[in-house]
Amino acid sequence: MSMSRRPSDETLAAFAAGRLDEGLALVVAAHVEVNRETRRDLAEIEALSGALLDSIEPEPMAADARTLSVALPHRGIELPPRPAAPPDAAGLHVLAPYTLGRWKSVGRGVALRRVEVPYSDTRVFMLRAQPGTRLPAHRHTGAEWTTIVAGAYEHEYGRYAAGDFDEADDRHAHTPMVDPVEGCTCIVALTGNVRFEGVVGRLLQPFVRL
Amino acid sequence: MDANALIQSIAQSSDRQAFVKLFDHFAPRVKALLMRQGTPADLAEELAQETLLMVWRKAALFDPSRAGASTWIAAIARNLRIDAARREKRSRLPDVFEILQGEEPEQPDQVLDGSERDSRVRAALTSLSPDQLRVVQLAFMEGLSHQDVAKRLSIPLGTVKSRLRLAMARMRGSLEDLR
Repeated sequence: MSMSRRPSDETLAAFAAGRLDEGLALVVAAHVEVNRETRRDLAEIEALSGALLDSIEPEPMAADARTLSVALPHRGIELPPRPAAPPDAAGLHVLAPYTLGRWKSVGRGVALRRVEVPYSDTRVFMLRAQPGTRLPAHRHTGAEWTTIVAGAYEHEYGRYAAGDFDEADDRHAHTPMVDPVEGCTCIVALTGNVRFEGVVGRLLQPFVRL
Repeated sequence: MDANALIQSIAQSSDRQAFVKLFDHFAPRVKALLMRQGTPADLAEELAQETLLMVWRKAALFDPSRAGASTWIAAIARNLRIDAARREKRSRLPDVFEILQGEEPEQPDQVLDGSERDSRVRAALTSLSPDQLRVVQLAFMEGLSHQDVAKRLSIPLGTVKSRLRLAMARMRGSLEDLR
């Protein structure tokens, strides 16, 4: 189990190539938005794609550039305004293209808000937990990827704070403890099945539709 | 060919000659890239055209301090490919990538030149052995998992990982003072 708090090069490469499932990609994108180092790593991986594009053996085109150039429009497009982060979504701009559900309290200091990612097999939601909350123990059959946007939590594998990325797989169960002062806000993508245990877990279970 | 200057010339004066030069260089490469990523030839041709038309339309948004021309064009091609592959499924990832591109540069206090980064990465690539380059192409251009790279080349997973580690170390070493 890796203790890294950032995505691996393998995960970033799949993200940059557009090969990740959209729900998982969205959680990586949220991490890229809040983590400068990963933004730099992504810029480097994209530069690598650019360099590979330069070095590739060209494939002849049927279209003729001179013919096309005649029909080009006179004006380009204006700089589109950067979409605002949706209200009450921890300031995440990458959520702007998505429909968000309402915050729903599931009791014991935990609230959830669904992020609709149509056609994805992944369930994505934001989670907000009050300081000192113990999140329900749970087991996975798939992956659970989390970007911590504010505050922190701690579990068997260490402490994860704002800007960190937590990539958990099916090999373990865990019981995150939310920071006693700051609480925690995060965005989570789940694949496969998750089975929660305990009281809050039973409340979460229908929400995550498992 | 100075691709950065050609794009800027399109932005400033709708320079059609510059477009023709960019098209002749990049369209066949974008088409090849898309085909390597599994896009059928016809669609790759269409998307390569669309990519260069997008370069024309978006030229004013090109910022060489963020990324060099090749990197910028590769990202446009990627977004169009995702769009085309998931047309009925309305993926919003291209929008998400656009939003991330609009983010502040990673080191606002420093002038981090994207074009300089591009040319160093290009130089680092040419210093790789053919075996290393092949692994880098599959992992970063085609976006395959390490497992799939190993299968494709019929080599052990550990070999894939060590070749990639060396290649990434070389690339990052060449960028050390920019990081």
